[in-house]
Amino acid sequence: MPYSYGSEQQLLLFSFELLVHISNVSEGARQLVTMEAQSALSFQRPGARQFSNHGAASGRSPALEDKYPKFTNPQLNFTSGAVGHIFSSSSGMSSDFHFPSVVTNLSEKAPFIPQSLEIPQSTTSNQYMKETNNSSWCTDSLPDFLDYPQNTSIQSSNLEHSIMPSEDLLNYSQNTPIQSSNLEHNIMPSEDFGKQNDWQDWTDQLINEDDALTPDWNDILIDSNIADPEPKMAYHVGGSSTISMQTQPLIPQSSGETGVPLTPTPCGSGSQSKPRMRWTPELHEAFVEAVNKLGGSEKATPKGVLKQMKVEGLTIYHVKSHLQKYRTARYRPEPSAEGPSEKKTTSVEDFSSLELKTGLEITEALRLQMEVQKRLHEQLEIQRNLQLRIEEQGRYLQMMFEKQCKSGIDKFKASSSTEPPSLEANLNKPGSELVVGPSEEGSSKSGPDVSQPAKRAKVNA
Amino acid sequence: MKFGKRLKQHVEETLPGWRDMYLNYKDLKKLVRLISSSLEYGKSEEAEFVYLLNNEIEKFNVFFMEQEEDFIIRHKELQQRIKRVNESESSSQGEYEEEMARIRKDIVDFHGEMVLLVNYSNINYTGMAKILKKYDKRTGGVLRLPFIQKVLEQPFFTTELVSKLVKECETTIDELFPTVVVMEVEMKEAATMMAGEGIFRNTVAALMTMKEIRKGSSTQSHFSLPVLSLPDTELIRSFQLNSPIPIV
Repeated sequence: MPYSYGSEQQLLLFSFELLVHISNVSEGARQLVTMEAQSALSFQRPGARQFSNHGAASGRSPALEDKYPKFTNPQLNFTSGAVGHIFSSSSGMSSDFHFPSVVTNLSEKAPFIPQSLEIPQSTTSNQYMKETNNSSWCTDSLPDFLDYPQNTSIQSSNLEHSIMPSEDLLNYSQNTPIQSSNLEHNIMPSEDFGKQNDWQDWTDQLINEDDALTPDWNDILIDSNIADPEPKMAYHVGGSSTISMQTQPLIPQSSGETGVPLTPTPCGSGSQSKPRMRWTPELHEAFVEAVNKLGGSEKATPKGVLKQMKVEGLTIYHVKSHLQKYRTARYRPEPSAEGPSEKKTTSVEDFSSLELKTGLEITEALRLQMEVQKRLHEQLEIQRNLQLRIEEQGRYLQMMFEKQCKSGIDKFKASSSTEPPSLEANLNKPGSELVVGPSEEGSSKSGPDVSQPAKRAKVNA
Repeated sequence: MKFGKRLKQHVEETLPGWRDMYLNYKDLKKLVRLISSSLEYGKSEEAEFVYLLNNEIEKFNVFFMEQEEDFIIRHKELQQRIKRVNESESSSQGEYEEEMARIRKDIVDFHGEMVLLVNYSNINYTGMAKILKKYDKRTGGVLRLPFIQKVLEQPFFTTELVSKLVKECETTIDELFPTVVVMEVEMKEAATMMAGEGIFRNTVAALMTMKEIRKGSSTQSHFSLPVLSLPDTELIRSFQLNSPIPIV
């Protein structure tokens, strides 16, 4: 059954949303869900044959993923564009998410690292934001920039980096409808300064630690600073960003990959661990090449590998831990990452028992295992896509709702009747915030996006 | 409570090293109940809740990225192993077969482990979505929608890379395994043999858990997932032979 966002549907969806807010789940919701479910499930294999070849089925997922340019482009870039990521732990989300009085409590536990704040020195001096995380973090930092322009000017004296994120945030915000709901969160400027100080402390700590381990740390710092005199961003903001400084790809000295973006993660725990790094196969390739050039995993040193790789933003910590894992993997082929006790004992038993069985039986057993695993994976992918879609739809509905509210109020204001207060009261009842902001643009942008999947659903169904 | 029970079961059955890495659903639920029943619900309670959620997210992210890194390394290593064994002229046919058998087993288990990580990601996301829904329902807040958007973009939920590795693995495996017609009887025997094995047992369990979780929501809304229908449920369920004695 085709399911597209026609105007009729929009009205239906809007009224449905309103009902949901005011009362409980309506029958219409169930119908929508089943309709959705039907169209979604029709993607799956008919399921007639057991253990059929899953190649075709798994091929569908990319098609599903293509529907969500907002979500998947960043990730696609991420995986194929050979971008590694560093995630530093911070309380970015939590502090932004709530009101100032609350945030001051949290900020002491976990320093906030908004993109705007730049670290003048140390490993994290080259901060590059990854787009997807920007979409989560930018949304929260956005109020900072909009409300407190003095922040950016203060920081700009430090580094040019700070301006770029704000620009990008503004650009990006127009594409993501969610911005509007975050705008009401006002963050006090004093917080940011406090956070910046925390961040400075962090980096100082990092530097001090490093000194003990690597006397040549300064070399590395200097090198990386020289190599990076101007701001670079590993952005692939799906074509939406128009920042002038944006597209300067990072040091593609090794196999053409970009550098290592630093991204804050929601850290409420205040554990001041090193920035988290997200490895990619391409980055690992570069690593292996570097190691081989230096004579193998035993001979290579972290420092040497780091220098050889010449990847911006990569720190010796990352290389060190990665090298350790690498060595382990080489000299104990296929160790189980977790649960060594359980897996190893079974595998020891199995090996002797396996030898008793014929090769054919073993192969069949493995084949069976593969089928189950493939099945599980397929289902997981489907489920994930559904979840993404559901949330996207939810956002769209919210957007529509807010847009309707806004236009409704505007109309009332224009006619200057005495109704507005009651209407507003009604609309405010469900607890949804009435926000002013780029909701129009957001909704108009999200409209076509959302209708795309519906159209494609039609095709696939 | 259904999800909570399912989650608990899953955690008990899962690989030992992973048990602490799952969502503290029970505790979060308790907090939600506490908040909703307390007379003065204010911003600070919500902040605390969010703080805990963020902690959980951080936990997932850290674990997920560690595993992912390991997988990247092992994936490459397996490919090297295959290359080496194919290129080594010196080994005898017997040795070759032996090494190939080992590689096959290892790669299938590796595939399974990666799938289990994707499963881990999904279960935790589901738990998060549920607890947020509960929170909104109990406290009348509007935390869920914006918060879940953030969760969607977290490293632990962006599983594209691991899925890609899984598919690459499948391609490699297809090349490694000779094409043979599968007999019903052999399949049953194979199932018996595999039942006790670590990774296989886990993937079967995960699949069944998923089906249970997706059975049907008591609070069906436009945010609920549809019911999961697996055509081979009975067959897969039959693999869950809980044999304490290792099958030889």
